[in-house]
This record gives sequence, C-alpha cells and structure tokens, in this order.
Amino acid sequence: MTDEKFTAERFKLTDEKAALALDVLRQRLNRQLEASLEVCVRCGVCAESCHYYVSDPKPEHVPAYRAEQVRKVYRRLFDPLGRRSPGWVGAAELDQEMVEKLIYAAFGTCTMCGRCVINCPMGVDTRHIVRTARAMLTAIDMTPEGLKATVDVHLEAGNNMGVTEEDFIDTLEWMEEELQDELENPNIKIPVNKKGARVLYTLNPREVKYFPYLIQTAAKIFNAAGEDWTLSTVGWDVTNYGLFSGDDNAARTIASNLERAMADTGAQVLVMAECGHGYRSQRWEAENWLGHRYPFPVTSFVELQAQYLKEGRLKLDPAVNDKRVTYHDPCNQARNGGIVDEPRYILRRAVMDFVEMEPHGVENYCCGGGGGMLAMSEFAPARLAAAKVKADQIAATGAEIVATSCHNCLDQLDEIRRHYKLPVKIKNLSELVAAAIVWE
Amino acid sequence: MPVIELEGIQVEVDEDGFIQNPEVWTEALARAIAKTEDVEELTEDHWKVINYLRDYYQQYGIAPMIRKLCKDTGFKLNYIYELFPSGPAKGACKIAGLPKPTGCV
Repeated sequence: MTDEKFTAERFKLTDEKAALALDVLRQRLNRQLEASLEVCVRCGVCAESCHYYVSDPKPEHVPAYRAEQVRKVYRRLFDPLGRRSPGWVGAAELDQEMVEKLIYAAFGTCTMCGRCVINCPMGVDTRHIVRTARAMLTAIDMTPEGLKATVDVHLEAGNNMGVTEEDFIDTLEWMEEELQDELENPNIKIPVNKKGARVLYTLNPREVKYFPYLIQTAAKIFNAAGEDWTLSTVGWDVTNYGLFSGDDNAARTIASNLERAMADTGAQVLVMAECGHGYRSQRWEAENWLGHRYPFPVTSFVELQAQYLKEGRLKLDPAVNDKRVTYHDPCNQARNGGIVDEPRYILRRAVMDFVEMEPHGVENYCCGGGGGMLAMSEFAPARLAAAKVKADQIAATGAEIVATSCHNCLDQLDEIRRHYKLPVKIKNLSELVAAAIVWE
Repeated sequence: MPVIELEGIQVEVDEDGFIQNPEVWTEALARAIAKTEDVEELTEDHWKVINYLRDYYQQYGIAPMIRKLCKDTGFKLNYIYELFPSGPAKGACKIAGLPKPTGCV
C-alpha cells in the first residue's frame, strides 16, 4: 500500500526510525495497555459501535482491525512465538508497509472517540492503543501535516492559530465595544489580566481569529451571572492537540501554559471553554503529563452555566428559542469527560422544544471530526463518509437546530449539514443560553 | 490528490478543496471554488474581501484576523458571514487561494 499522500521524505522508514518507534512502544507498555493488547477475543462487537463501520461497513473500519495493526508489531517484540515464528501468531516486522498501515489505522480511520471502549465486553481500550500508535508515529516525524502544524504552531505561538498578543487584545477590545453598544451598557467589560478574579476563562483560537462573536456570548453569560472573571495573555488557548498527536512532551508544555496563567492572575477556578478535547486534556489528562496535581479545580463552561442556573444567578426565557433543538454530545466531554446531564439541564431551561437524538449521552456517535481529524485534510473524504450515521441521527429528530459544546464538533457538524444537505443550523450551547438571558 | 478542472486547466487541491499551489490562483479559479462554497456569484464586496486576504497573505504569510479584515474593509462582522456562508476560513480563505488554517477548522 503506497499512497501518494505520504511520499514526503519524512514518511520513509529508516532503521533508526523503526528502532525509535519500537522504543516508544516499549516505554509506554503499562498494565492497561498490555491488557488491551492481550485480551481481545475477536468477538466483533466493536464493529457496530464505530461510526466508521456503521456508516461504511468494511473490515478496515472495525476497531479490532485497527488495534490488530499495533498488536502485530507488539507480538513480534513480546510474544515468545511471535519472536520465533511470527507468521504463526500474526506478528509483523515494523517495516514500510506496516508503518503505512499504522498511519491509516491510527490517524486515518479513528477519532479516538472511545465508543468501542465502553461497548467492549472485555474492556479493551482501543482508544489507548490508537494513541500509542500515534505516539510511535509522531516520535519518528510521521504525523500527518495538518495535525503536526497545529501542534507546532501552538508550541511556537502559545495558541494553535498563531494569534499574536497584539491581535488578541485588539479583538477583545473590539468585542467589548460591540457588546457595550449592543447592550447599551458602557460598564460591561471583557477583562484581561485582571488579578485575583475568581474565574480564569479560556478561548478556542477559532473564536478569536474567525468567530469573535462567541467571545461576546460568553461575556454576556458571565456578566448576567455577576461572575468575577478574566482572560489572560499568559495562556488562553483551550485546545491541546498533543492529546491527538500522542506527543506527551508537547501536551505537557501546552497544558502548562494555562497553569502559568492561573499563577499569574491568581484566579481560583480554571474554566475550559466549550471544547471537548480541551476539557478532557486539562481536566483528566494534564496532571499525568505534568507529573503533579493542580492546586486549583478545572471545570467546563458547560458545568458552570448549569451551576449559574441552579443557583438562580442566570434567568432564561426559553420562548426566545422556539425552534426544535437537539444536542450532539462531544465525545471528549460526555463519554470521555463525564459531562452528560449538565447540557440537558441547560437546554431544558433555554429552549422550548428539546429532543434527544438516538443514541445520546455517553453512547452518542462521534461527529467524525474528533481526534484532530478535522486538521488532517488527507482523510477528509473518509471523515465525511463516516459522518453518515450522524446525519441520520440528526435527520430523525426533526430538529431545526443542532446544539453542541465543542468548536471542533461545531465545524464538523456544519460540514455534515452541507454535505448531507440537512435543513438545520448548528449552534454552540452558549449561543442559545445567551440569546435567552433575562437581564435584571 | 483531487483536481478541479477549469477551462481545460487542471488545478490540484487538497481533500478539503484548498488549492495546493497559491501561485496558480486566478480570478476564474476563485469563481470556480466559490460555487463549491455556496457563493453563486462573486460581487464587488466579495472581491474586496478576497483581494484583501490575498494582499495580506502575500505580505505576512498568514491569513489575517477577522478583526483586521473588518477594520480594513469597513465591513461589519455579520456581513462577512453573509458574504461567505461557509465561514471566513473555509469559505473566504479557500476562495482567495490561501492554505487551510491550523486548528479546529
């Protein structure tokens, strides 16, 4: 399998590269990974759990097939039979052909959404196996270009779109002026580098660079709830594509930006903007990357909005949102993050007609854009084909609006809308909330 | 690598439809890409945005912030989204022949 997309010199396997990739596998073998590599019974239940397979049923789309590519290499190294007579146990050398299979299995046809993990009767964590394969490939500079560039830009510029500090401040001031005009209230602020605020908020660079009205949306909610909040120029990017490239060193550096911003502002709570993987990274993974515990709690803007409503700090008039709304669960927020009830609690108060798609919550299908897939153009046709099940889920609800709480899902859902010609609008949860605010 | 064919000339694009070599960009090519991005006809205002994006990219090697785009063209934020329904990154930048941005787009 030679593919014209991966002909660049860096995708040629040398002996040094092969040795390095195998070292990464050796170093990362822990009890969890080893169990996942050993206990698969080939029952095939995972096939139906994967949006790739459900949308386009072919053998390469079965999660166990993807994991098998890593298992082959693992057996060659660690299975006594695999070392002596590899053919007997399906072990394989890490050669050029195998590396290309790994690129397709780990980057090309898996979003690490984890739906196969919760449906596996043996508890095999294919998401973990796939991230290990990505780590092996990233260590030998074989990360697909768009994903590699997103991590590199983040490491260089402190955010994944290369927004300068000057442009960041300029955009925030612009949005503050527009917000003051809209609400006819010159006292409404979008605070930056305020010391001692309770909440340090974060943004997805996509908001700052291309969709700044979403900054206003958050500002409206904070102001209506009477929150003491701030943004920080030390660190503000909610994303962490180190989770997707498998590069723990990059992930650690990126995660530490927000830790430094917390120290600089002296804020009490770090609030992650509506971003699935950003929340998962900072809330559930970063302490492992950093090797120490945070001295502060990390929460999601979704949880915070639900809290405001519960405490009566935010009053909403759902009549403003009278169209039928359904909700797409971002995988890294619901299934891999534990935030399932809060968005529903919010929607039942923010809109008139909320309907669930089926399945939903932790069993919801991935939109297809997860795992950094949106950044990897090489796999765009397969990404859209695998979203057929999501398009069917949405169409069956009869909803006119699909709400979600992840910028990456938002963008992929909009592509699904165009590709499958769905008569819907895609919105962030907070957009619906902000529109329904009853100002007091 | 997919290609767009235009008046007999084949142009390489990536799988998201962004042209691979910014030098091959022409106004006719922009009109062809626009049709794939829900923009049926390129008006004077579309061209104002496209030309601004191209000039900025040629000077700085990166797409401008939408803040700069709005300030320098005098267009309101909402008007940009109306002009390019698939958004400033996937719509406007793609039509202007800029490469796909990094991040969640």
